[in-house]
Amino acid sequence: MRKEGDDDSEATATLTSIHAREGGPDFSSEGYEPWLFQTMLNELSERELGVGFIYSILELFATRHGLNDVAVVLVNEAFGTQMFRLGGEPVTADMAAHLNASPGVYCEPDTVPSPECDAVRTACQLALSLHLARFSAAHDPLTNISNRRSFDEALEVAAARSARYGWAFTLVLVDLNNFKAVNDKSGHEFGNHLLRQFGYALRQAVRQGDTAARIGGDEFAVILSNAEGHESSGFTERLKGHLVALGNPVEFTIGTASSPRDSTDPSELLRMADSRLYEKKGIRIS
Amino acid sequence: MMSRTEEDFELELRSLPGVLNVGITKHSNGDVNVVTLVANSKDPLATRSAANQIASLYYPEAAVVVEDANRALIDSQRGDGPRVALIRADYDTTDGFCEVQLSIEGRTGIGRAGSGPLIGGAEATLAALRDLGYDVPYSLMTVTNVTNGRDWPVIVTLRSLANDADRFGIARSEDDLVSAVKATLDSLNRFLSTLEGRV
Repeated sequence: MRKEGDDDSEATATLTSIHAREGGPDFSSEGYEPWLFQTMLNELSERELGVGFIYSILELFATRHGLNDVAVVLVNEAFGTQMFRLGGEPVTADMAAHLNASPGVYCEPDTVPSPECDAVRTACQLALSLHLARFSAAHDPLTNISNRRSFDEALEVAAARSARYGWAFTLVLVDLNNFKAVNDKSGHEFGNHLLRQFGYALRQAVRQGDTAARIGGDEFAVILSNAEGHESSGFTERLKGHLVALGNPVEFTIGTASSPRDSTDPSELLRMADSRLYEKKGIRIS
Repeated sequence: MMSRTEEDFELELRSLPGVLNVGITKHSNGDVNVVTLVANSKDPLATRSAANQIASLYYPEAAVVVEDANRALIDSQRGDGPRVALIRADYDTTDGFCEVQLSIEGRTGIGRAGSGPLIGGAEATLAALRDLGYDVPYSLMTVTNVTNGRDWPVIVTLRSLANDADRFGIARSEDDLVSAVKATLDSLNRFLSTLEGRV
């Protein structure tokens, strides 16, 4: 924990202790200090490890050793070099230039035994990797909105609540019009750019508590919480407005189904929304 | 403990190319106030744009600052100190007040002043610098919007409170307010880094 009256620049200047260890993370309990291992177990019992765990560890580590400041530098395969500082405080650009040298734990004052620094670094590395894995498993990499798998889970949960408690929600399927032609004409790179923009507009258009997902190449789905079918028009207008603001020329068609009014079965809701979407497109499906 | 939303927000920012560190400053009420990125990016403007997009999805009110780790290294080799960065400058047309938010090394200062975007912008900048802890011994003398038919730079003149050594700054930006802010910072260029009285 930072002490009152400490000078930031002095702390920065003396964050010079590097405790780096070669090789990959040691996942065995023997690789960690008992307090650290216990903290990991506690956090795992409450929720999965993530970036927040790294700050928790730095806080505990600083308190345990009476440190004024501590930062950890990690190298992640996907993210490259990453720096985390006690309390989530920003690392100054000067400090970043200094710390960029090597992964490790940087303490001020430098009084902590190397093995414990190594254990902290490994635990932080593990937390970052787990968070990335968790995020990647649930999100579409192009648009960063939910992917099909997490959407299906969200739809099942919403449908179960609707069946049990009567809570209303509307499923909205969104299909981009003539997107294949755009891809063929302007190339996949431009097509991906439009999809990224569309994902961004979709995230802006939904309210807190709604779920937006990319469920296919140019197919998106939204769960509008506490909304009946006719309330989806507000969402549609917001989405159009955000697309115009982005200069995105893509047009789309939607199909909706509401629960519990239409059904409380996820498969049936998907089928109905899909059928209505294709009806609007003028395409008959058997 | 960080919420899942906060964690994912930080992870998304860290996934941007070249981002080394994310610092999040909150208001006393817990709202995210400023997001500071330190990036080793080839295209800082693209990083800033992408970071702004992500921040707008999670915390629309938050200001985003991107600091260039490469530039800091060059500055430190040249002997320059860290630079004051403009986070935002707003002009409220209803009451004529400007609000300017500046940042240096993750700290932010806010200044407000009336008198329109030109004079108000310069005065609000001086107020924001003082809010950051700088003792700025200058007062605003003139703010001039130069119209020459091609572009419209703003020139700011500051008068020393101790002697007659005036300082001049010039900047041209997207509007008068931002030009006035940048011209004021320009006039104090290389002065701020010499101050001992920073917080």
